Amino acid sequence: MAENKFPKVLLWSLLGVFVLAIIAAAVISQAHKSRADIPVYGQIPPFEFVTQNNRPFGTSNLQGKITVLDFMFTNCQGPCPIMSGKMGRLYDQYSDASDVQFVSISVDPARDSLKALQQYAKAHGVTDNRWVFLRGPLEEVKHLSVDGLKLGGNFPMGHSTRFVLIDRKGQIRGYYTGTDDASIDVLKTHLNQLLKTQA
Amino acid sequence: MRHKIKRFRRVAIVSTVVTYLLIFVGGLVRISGAGLGCPDWPKCFGRWIPPTDASQLPANIDPSLFNFTLAWIEYINRLLGMLVGLFILATAILAIMYLRKQKRILWPSVIAAILVAYQGWQGSQVVASNLEPLIITIHMVLAFIIVSIMIYVSQQAYYLENPEVGKDAQYPAILRKWVMFLWAIAIIQVILGTEVRSQIQIASEHFPLLSGIQLLSFADPISYIHGLLGVVVAVITWYAGNQILKRSENPTPLVSYGARIMMIIILVQITIGGILIGAGLPGLMRLYHLWVASLFIGILLLLYSALKRKEVVNG
Repeated sequence: MAENKFPKVLLWSLLGVFVLAIIAAAVISQAHKSRADIPVYGQIPPFEFVTQNNRPFGTSNLQGKITVLDFMFTNCQGPCPIMSGKMGRLYDQYSDASDVQFVSISVDPARDSLKALQQYAKAHGVTDNRWVFLRGPLEEVKHLSVDGLKLGGNFPMGHSTRFVLIDRKGQIRGYYTGTDDASIDVLKTHLNQLLKTQA
Repeated sequence: MRHKIKRFRRVAIVSTVVTYLLIFVGGLVRISGAGLGCPDWPKCFGRWIPPTDASQLPANIDPSLFNFTLAWIEYINRLLGMLVGLFILATAILAIMYLRKQKRILWPSVIAAILVAYQGWQGSQVVASNLEPLIITIHMVLAFIIVSIMIYVSQQAYYLENPEVGKDAQYPAILRKWVMFLWAIAIIQVILGTEVRSQIQIASEHFPLLSGIQLLSFADPISYIHGLLGVVVAVITWYAGNQILKRSENPTPLVSYGARIMMIIILVQITIGGILIGAGLPGLMRLYHLWVASLFIGILLLLYSALKRKEVVNG
């Protein structure tokens, strides 16, 4: 490159920068749209359980709220502590969003008494009703997990480790691995998107 | 011999340009949130070519991680990274073949090739770390070092090919010192800028509902120092640029245009910084803020070598 070619090179460089800006703007916009495109997997079937404080909690409590739901049991030594830790982190991070709630359903109602669930909630820093722990008949819990949410698994040891995202209309919007940070990052992106679009 | 140097110089310049393009695309990956577009490495969802549909995903991969657009943005970044690696490798091979005796070209070329191979592996660590801010910063700093070496190699090859360039030019030593000083502050600015970015990222993980401008407050006082120092850099750049234009005798076009470009670039950078704060950290501006910084550092390196070559001690 001879140095007297500078003005020409400069002009081409400026054109290149301009073209790159257009491409970059299009890519950023497309990436944003792709994240906003959250599928609907269907409607959550009706259920009616009780919270750790012995209050009824069912499908009607999902209406108007964005819900992150999982299955657990308090004696679980496998993935549950990790899942509840990550759910607790979400509970803290979304403390300003009153329309986001967290629901953990026990798959071991025989051993998970309301008192056990209360202690578990306390141990995980739950101070309000944005995160509830539900107890219900095992068959109904199974039905909700296997038939309603299509999660499968053997109860109680082999229950699903997925977090399920449910929108304000009670529609299932996503499944995420409750033990994996990358998957939970995707959940947060989708949750934020639902907060914006369904406000 | 001259045509061999010319061939080397051309490959070195192309390597430099594509490395700058890769820095841009790397920034684009980060801004568009495609850093984990491919959650594995070197393959993407277990395939050499990313899937086009969730049905193609391997059974062991969480389908929630699949996003077609983000996977392809990250994949193109990896392809371009490979292309850059091949160009820099070609530069090193040509240096070994043609310019073995030119130590100031040979060694930097070989070091750049080693660094670019390391950078490829380091890219895998970015993915493995789940986008840990420090690992991303190391990835970016390495890219800056590699492009700086390629700029140096290209310029030295140009001077080797055209020894008569600037034969009447004379530059007072103080000008080179100003440029060196600016380079040092620019590096500090890049470090501060990456720290601001890291603070914002950490804050956004804890407070996902806050807007960009609200998150910026978590980077105080570093963001404040970064902005203030940016204005100081701009003032010094304009002073140094004017000094280069006034006090150089028979400057080469590289020096006279370089000084002007340096002055324009810093104004552009300050403007982008202002827009970032005023408009709540828009993605495109964040991308250009980083990229223009890398261009600014590149121009300073070009000027430094050009001024040093024809420096007069008592100018």
